[in-house]
Amino acid sequence: MNERILVVDDEESLRLSLKFKLKSAGFDVDVAVDGEDALEKLKARPADAVLLDINMPRMSGIETLTVIRQRYPQTEAIMLTGFADFSTAIECLKIGAKDYLVKPVDTTELVTRLRSLVRSRSNERALQEVHQQYLGFLTEDVLDPLKKIQSSLDQLAKLPGDAEKERKKVLAGARDAADMIEAKLKVLAQFAKEAAEAVEGSSEANAAQLTEQLKGIRRGSGR
Amino acid sequence: MATTTDKKKIQYLYRFKFDNGTEKTFDVVLDGESLELLRDEPKEKPEWTKLKYSQCENCPLSDSVEYCPVALSLAGLVEAFSDSLSYEAALVTVETRERTYVKKTTLQKGLSSILGIYMSTSNCPILSKMRPMTRFHLPYANSFETFFRSVSSYLTAQFLLMRRGETPDWDLQGLKEIYKEVNTVNKGMSVRLHRATEKDANINAVVILHSFGDGISYFIESGLADLEPMFEVFLKKNGPPDAKP
Repeated sequence: MNERILVVDDEESLRLSLKFKLKSAGFDVDVAVDGEDALEKLKARPADAVLLDINMPRMSGIETLTVIRQRYPQTEAIMLTGFADFSTAIECLKIGAKDYLVKPVDTTELVTRLRSLVRSRSNERALQEVHQQYLGFLTEDVLDPLKKIQSSLDQLAKLPGDAEKERKKVLAGARDAADMIEAKLKVLAQFAKEAAEAVEGSSEANAAQLTEQLKGIRRGSGR
Repeated sequence: MATTTDKKKIQYLYRFKFDNGTEKTFDVVLDGESLELLRDEPKEKPEWTKLKYSQCENCPLSDSVEYCPVALSLAGLVEAFSDSLSYEAALVTVETRERTYVKKTTLQKGLSSILGIYMSTSNCPILSKMRPMTRFHLPYANSFETFFRSVSSYLTAQFLLMRRGETPDWDLQGLKEIYKEVNTVNKGMSVRLHRATEKDANINAVVILHSFGDGISYFIESGLADLEPMFEVFLKKNGPPDAKP
């Protein structure tokens, strides 16, 4: 699916020319006539990135940026201005804009920056997925069996001396849990070794592959 | 001032009225045939109008030319709006010999309209190719209207070339090249204006002209797709309709 870009500018010719440029570069483009319209459009359908004019009537680009960062933290922002001003640029970057470009914007430069921005955004999401899978592994596949072993040990300590049958059952359960942890950790160790080798030239595709491997380990197949 | 008689002059009287009651007026007068801007030599020439101050990268003018003709044409307008914001509301009235146009719009839109005339008639060798459009100036035109006027104007030039036995450029590749050069000048002018102004109204007006130039390339590459349905009557197999009802 193409990355979705929302162009926000109060001037029709600028919206149209940016839309033409970005569509022909392969982006899915929508436009908004001002900050309020931009927020409505984002509410209806999220965007990967917004191109935000700074000087707009009613709601300025900076005000719009502030709201977008609060409501849609996944949406990146590049600010556009006709009048370059260092302090405004710093303010925008502090609020959370990823870039600040002076109009008229060079098409190649804009497309390059947008691609880099949405790509790093995708990588970030993919790595977050790896992280989620890894956390799931630690809690469900390691910590939960460990708790089971601890609970078994507590049970054993409380059992009366003649409850041999019950003792054996609890011990078997604990043994199964320990074996499971050992098996999972062995696969994880191998996975970690291979993942470290794959980290060089890390990309969204690599991260997605790591996620699938982790899912495999968690399902118990190991690979 | 050149000695063109009043009859041969083309005049655009631009009047900007703001919500605070202030008003600014600019009288643009062109020679009716050459479409050259008729103006008195400015008494004061700001530093930023010097050619070498920020010369466009494709400027063909020689070092002997001291002032940028575009900058000089724009000087009065730029100074008048140097501290104005692009989105400021204005009632812009344009009076011509034939009619009067009135529109409540943004300052940047009104400015880009008059800026376009000043720039194309300024004797800049690159922007001069836009002059024929100036004769059919449409104040506050939107992108689609501007694209249509550009293409129409260029195709008229090709027809006239053909009549002279020369090879016309019907696929509009030359028009794309013209706008590529024009946009290099627009870009250069926005850099120059950035140093001459305190707020964004003037620069954004040039940016609007630049965006028209950007857009027209895509418009041509699309094969004028947006226009095609309107010309269906000419595109039917048997050609244009005859006069019979």
